[in-house]
Amino acid sequence: MFESAICQIIFYVFAALAALCAIGIVAFRNPVASAMNMALSFGFTAAILFGMGAQFMGIVQLIVYAGAILVLFLFVVMMLDVKAEERFCKLPLFIGLVVASVFAGIVTYVSLNLPGAGSFSCPMATLCENIDALAVTDTPAATACVQAPAGYGGSLPALDSTAANLAANPGMTPECAAKATGYPDVKLLGKTLFTQYNIAFVILSFALFAGTVGAVALARKIRKD
Amino acid sequence: MTIPLAHYLIFSGILFSIGLAGVLIRKNILVVFMCLEMMLSAANISLVAFSRAQGTDGIPVYDAQVLSLFIVAIAAAEVSIGLALIVAMFRATRSVDSTSLNTLKD
Repeated sequence: MFESAICQIIFYVFAALAALCAIGIVAFRNPVASAMNMALSFGFTAAILFGMGAQFMGIVQLIVYAGAILVLFLFVVMMLDVKAEERFCKLPLFIGLVVASVFAGIVTYVSLNLPGAGSFSCPMATLCENIDALAVTDTPAATACVQAPAGYGGSLPALDSTAANLAANPGMTPECAAKATGYPDVKLLGKTLFTQYNIAFVILSFALFAGTVGAVALARKIRKD
Repeated sequence: MTIPLAHYLIFSGILFSIGLAGVLIRKNILVVFMCLEMMLSAANISLVAFSRAQGTDGIPVYDAQVLSLFIVAIAAAEVSIGLALIVAMFRATRSVDSTSLNTLKD
């Protein structure tokens, strides 16, 4: 799944398009054009998430960002009747560009210096054992552990739909899981969300509720009398 | 032969820095806010990429995807409050210019 050459080409094409649309958000003077570019950029980002095998996160990206947040932005842009500005810089343009380029350069440098980042074929590695080893008061071992494992920046480990089906359905026999088609992404995500992170999920709903109440309270017209 | 983790991280970093440039450069506070949203979604991409990279036995670590789901939800709440603040600011100053908020300066 997701290993063929066409998937790689699609990733690079969509990544370039998403970055281009992101530049469009900053470069267009008309806020409506910026919002439309944001929709495109989020759409391409969702496509990249689909390509990573995170189907649920891709759908959430489309529904929440491109659907809800963007429509809210467009409502406000149209309600406020914002005109395109003639002078749109608050800082000299080059200061912003220099800061952003330095940041992008640092991220690129660090990413490319991850072990195995240059080569496309790398062994799968996890940090879990290293984190366990850090608890031991063995200084040389601990120093060796803070480094990323060999091949960490290389290819992402392949998804295994048989193992995932077994993990998602405890009663399933291995023969049955081998025959099952599709990758149970939503099921596994939901299992993690509603068992391990259930309390955080409930608290999150309070945050959303507070957001709703706050938005109504802030945007309400205050009577003078 | 799949795409390396490093390329996902570089893509996410580029998207984040474009958003950073927009926050620094633009005067229209609505566009500044759009760029903030883009920075959040760029962070989501790297979280999902890390969840794949840390995975064992062909199953990603779903804790990272749960975290990015929380980020999306908090972003939605933040947008609703932020846009309400922008509407309130427009009522007060009749403009969406971030440089027009200078009452304390003069």
